[in-house]
Order: sequence, then C-alpha cells, then structure tokens
Amino acid sequence: MSKYKVRIFLPFIALLGFCSCNHTESNVKTVLNEVLTYNSNNFQDDYGTHNAWIEIFNKSYGSVDIAGYQLKVSSQPGDTIAYYIPKGDIQTIIKPRQHVLFWADGKPSRGTFHTSCVLDTLKNNWVGLYDSGHKLIDEVVVPVLGKDISYARVRDAAKEWEIKGTDDKHYVTPNTNNLTIERNEKVDKFQEKDESGIGMSITAMTVVFTGLLTLYILFRCVGKIAVGLSQRAKDKSNQKFVEELNMKKEEKENKSVCGCNDEVYAAIAMALHESMGAVHDVEKQVLTIRRTSSPWSTKWNALRVIPQRK
Amino acid sequence: MGEFLSFLGNNLSDFWTYTGFANATSGHLIMILIGLGFIYLAIAKEFEPMLLIPIGFGILIGNIPFNMEAGLKVGIYEEGSVLNILYQGVTSGWYPPLIFLGIGAMTDFSALISNPKLLLIGAAAQFGIFGAYMIALAMGFNPSQAGAIGIIGGADGPTAIFLSSKLAPNLMGAIAVSAYSYMALVPVIQPPIMRLLTTHKERIMRMPPPRKVSHTEKVIFPIIGLLLTAFLVPSGLPLLGMLFFGNLLKESGVTRRLAETARGPLIDTITILLGVTVGASTQASEFLTFDSIKIFALGALSFVIATASGVIFVKLFNFILPKHKRINPLIGNAGVSAVPDSARISQVVGLEYDPTNYLLMHAMGPNVAGVIGSAVAAGILLGFLM
Repeated sequence: MSKYKVRIFLPFIALLGFCSCNHTESNVKTVLNEVLTYNSNNFQDDYGTHNAWIEIFNKSYGSVDIAGYQLKVSSQPGDTIAYYIPKGDIQTIIKPRQHVLFWADGKPSRGTFHTSCVLDTLKNNWVGLYDSGHKLIDEVVVPVLGKDISYARVRDAAKEWEIKGTDDKHYVTPNTNNLTIERNEKVDKFQEKDESGIGMSITAMTVVFTGLLTLYILFRCVGKIAVGLSQRAKDKSNQKFVEELNMKKEEKENKSVCGCNDEVYAAIAMALHESMGAVHDVEKQVLTIRRTSSPWSTKWNALRVIPQRK
Repeated sequence: MGEFLSFLGNNLSDFWTYTGFANATSGHLIMILIGLGFIYLAIAKEFEPMLLIPIGFGILIGNIPFNMEAGLKVGIYEEGSVLNILYQGVTSGWYPPLIFLGIGAMTDFSALISNPKLLLIGAAAQFGIFGAYMIALAMGFNPSQAGAIGIIGGADGPTAIFLSSKLAPNLMGAIAVSAYSYMALVPVIQPPIMRLLTTHKERIMRMPPPRKVSHTEKVIFPIIGLLLTAFLVPSGLPLLGMLFFGNLLKESGVTRRLAETARGPLIDTITILLGVTVGASTQASEFLTFDSIKIFALGALSFVIATASGVIFVKLFNFILPKHKRINPLIGNAGVSAVPDSARISQVVGLEYDPTNYLLMHAMGPNVAGVIGSAVAAGILLGFLM
C-alpha cells in the first residue's frame, strides 16, 4: 500500500478505534424493566397460577430477538441460577418498544417463558440479563418486597427504579408501560401556555432564521475566500504573463527568434542566393509515386478471419 | 323456466348492488366533479399539470363508489388492496424524501451561493406557516393539527404530506390536496399581493448580476448545508438529508448517472404514485367535511401571508443594505418554496414594468432557500408537536 493511501486510512482507523472505545450502553437494546418477587394475587401465567415474574423491555425502535440470551438470578453468592432463552420460538422476537414477561417459577418445561429461576421472597435478589455472547447487558438488585409489589423503572428504560404497587398512583404494570402516557405532554403544554401560537411562531421563526443566518454567514465567508483565491490565481497568471512578455522582449532585443545573430542570417541569405542563381538540370517527365499493395495496407489483411471448423 | 328467470333476476339484482351506480352518493359526485375540475385546470390552463393530472385522476379513482361491505379490497383505505399498498408511501412518509432527492438533483444553488443574503428571504417567507398555525389554533384546531395545516404555507407539497402524515394523519388528504392546489394557483395568488405591496420605483429596481460560482463552492454547499441544518433540526433529516444528497450527486460531477436517475425517472415515478394516491385518498366520506373547507381557507391565507411576508421583509431589508446592493422586492414572493413557479412569477411581474429587467436568476436564490426553510420549519414543528 502506498504511503498516500496509508495516510488516508490511518486517521479513519484511529477514528474507528476511538469510537469503539467510547462504546456505551446506548448499544444495548433490551433492559430489565420490572420484577415482582412475591405474586399472591397479581398477574396469572398461562397455567392460571401466580408466580414471580421478570419483565424485559426492548427500548429500541427495531425488533430484537432475545433467543440465546440468558437470565441469571441469585439471592446469595454462589447460588446463581441461569436460564438460557431457547432458540426457535418466534415469540422471543420483541417488537420495538414492547415488553416480554418471564415467569420465575422454576418450571422451564412449561414453555419458553417459564424459567428455571426462582426468586427468594425473603432476601434481596440479583437479576442479570446476558446477551447471546454471554456479556452482561443489564442487572438489578431487587430489594425484599411485599405481596404483589414490584420493583420497576420509573418509566420504561429509565435509569431510576422505584417500588410499585404501594398506592394508586404507582401501580404494578406487568407486560405494559411502566408509566401510562394518557396525553401528549408537549401538545398539552402548548395548548395551556401558548393558546394563540405566538410562542411557537417566535421560537420556530427564530430557529429558522438562526439556521439560515448561520448558513448565510458561512457562505459569505466561503464566497469571500473563493473570490480571494480566484483573484489570487488571476493575479498570479497575469504576473506570469507579464514576466513572460518581458522575457521575450529582452530576448528579442538581444537575439533574434532562433537565437542566431544577424551575421548568420546574412550568411544564409547569401548561400540561398547563390544556390538559386546556379544552373540546374530540367527533367522532361513528371515524377509520381505509385501506390503499391503491402500486407500493412491491404483491406483483406486488416480484417479478422473467422475460424471455421473443418 | 320461471325459476330460472327469477334466478337470473336475482343474479342481476345482486350484481346491481356491487355497481357504482347503486352505491353512488352526492358526495361521490361532488368529488368526481372536483377531480374533473383539476384535470381541466391542468390541461386547459396548464396549471401545474404534472401534479394536477395525477391528483385529479386519483380523485376520480378514489371516488368510484362500490359496496364497502363486499370485501372487494379495492379501496385505498382497505388494508391489503393495491391502492392501499401504494398509499403506504404516503402514510409511512417515504415518498416525500424521494421527491426531495430529485429536487436536490435538479436544483442549482448557484444564485444562492453567489448572493447568500437571499437565504434570509427564504426564512422570512416561512412566516406563512406560522401565521396559518396561529389562525388554525384560533379556529379550534389542536396544536398538532394546526402545525400540519400551517405547513401548507411553505408551498411545499412533499413537506406538507410528510408532516401531516406524522402530526394529523386524518387530515392528510385535505392538506395534501390543498397544498398542491395552491401551488398550482401560485400565478393567480401571488401577483396581486406583489403589486399591492410594492411601488413602481421598487418594481423596476435593478440588481447587480450574480458572480460566477466555483465548482468547489457548489460541492461544499450541500455538505455544509446538511451538517448545519440537520444538526440544528434533526427531525427534518429525512427531507434535508435527501435534498442535499441529491444536490451533491448533481454538483460532484462524478455521479452524473445517479443524478440523472434522481431528477428523471425516480422523481417522475414517485410523483405519479404520490399524486394518484393522494388524489385517491380524498374519498368523499373522508374528505367532504367542514374541516376540509376550513383547511382550504387556511391554505389560501397561508399562501397570502407567506408571499406578503417575503415581499415586506425585502423592503425592510433594503433599509440596512447599501444602495448598490439593494434587492428588488418583487423577488420576495419567491421565498415560498414552489420551485420554480414563484421565481417565474417574480420574472413575469418584473418584466411587466421593465422589459429588460430579468429577475429570474435572482429570484431562484430565495426560491431554493424557501425549500430549505420549509424543511427546517417542518422539522421544528415535528420536534415540538410529535
């Protein structure tokens, strides 16, 4: 690889390396979202029984297949139970911004969503979610909870966790949004505080003007630079032209066009005069050049001969 | 024999229930008349025929009455029907960015680059959007609906469809038809406002010729334009990204085939599909409502406000500009992004008062700035109201 190419590619590789070093949890698409350890009268599973459950949320805007992921649960060091989410079940594909519930009932034979894990109702429980590359992507320590009380993120995929099910405002939300959005807050805010729309108009026009004004300033500068550069190039070419002209003038003054002085011209003129004045033979015939055929000029030889099977 | 005849009779009466004649309502007939009106305007008056013929014919297609309960899967709102599949480009919002790709590939930003202050006229004309937004709020629409209606003032059909599909999908048909109708009526709406707001002296004002723009500047423009506007308003990315991408294809000089496809077969294909499906979406039952009438009234108002604000802005701007750099207010109308119609109007009106004063090149500056401005405005509305 040439030095030039290396010079181009090295910064790209360095940039890529820098970006990969900056790898954060923003790449993680699925998170643990809510856990209920003591299910007395809460959500029932498909067998009609009440069991502890763990909710996983796909926070991205694309579908995610969690087949091959692992759920691990531990209530004290050394007793970790792992559940491998089986492959081949189409239901393990979580749609964008959707939830899926896993039952911590210790009965994996009941189906994909029934795990081998069991949560301890009397101790803190550590729950971890691992991706198919066995990399921990999310974990939470669930405190000891009462009956039908869950430990959940304040809203889906939020960083803060809270205890839910203690009052009417904070209710348990299995398989659904942790915070029910009943209205469009942005629109409501505009409806409340900007009934006439003047606020929106001023804000939006300010942004439009700011954007286009910045573009104007940038292109004014770019234009000035471009004009300056073209002017400089023009000046340079003018200067070069003038220099060349001066040089030619100087040369003309010192020498003639072919670099010979006048004495040489005089000698040539005299030689020509002598030659033209001398006696020459006069030929009777007209001399012509006859065209002859050769392998280089014949049309036949220039054509490609199609090979024929014999 | 009698039984057979009654069997035939029953068959024919069944068949009759499926025909358009049996299912026609006055609404269908009104919409068919509107569709025919569009086609007439396009052919006889040559008002935006590229848009009005597909939309007009689409209105005819969308308003052929049929038995909705028969499950024929022919209507545009019936999931799985051919028209419904084609309509997904509108509802999902992927036709407008493709149109913008073509617009970018056919737009020459030289006039704007040589005189970048014209960008500000494109910004000023966006007041039409927000003026209509305020009036729509006063008329009882909620902020999301008002935003979708206001964008008609941007005079940009694809942007109007893109925004209304996100903010007010139920009003999209009326908004799209209104936006395209008024774009076609630019030659009727704008000149009286321009004449009203300018003096004879202003109309004959001459502007210095634009300087020659280098290839490098033309290449830099879409790159800086995208980075700046999209960083400022990321919600406008689908439109701005495609607009500047198309322009880079054109200006780079090394992707001639791609640029030709974008500004030729691609934009033509999408225009046909967009026009027909938008027209077909105006089914009488969905379209003939009091809201549609209000939207049409607001659309006209927003065009008037946009034109007036562009012209008035130039007049005010001239106060701070040195005499030799003043701008002819007749190009203020071109701030609305109906490319190149509104720029052509500046030229036509200008020539009426001075047959040697050619304003087209100057008017193209604010005109293309209007395209950028309306996409930015749409991004802002989307960011605030989505």
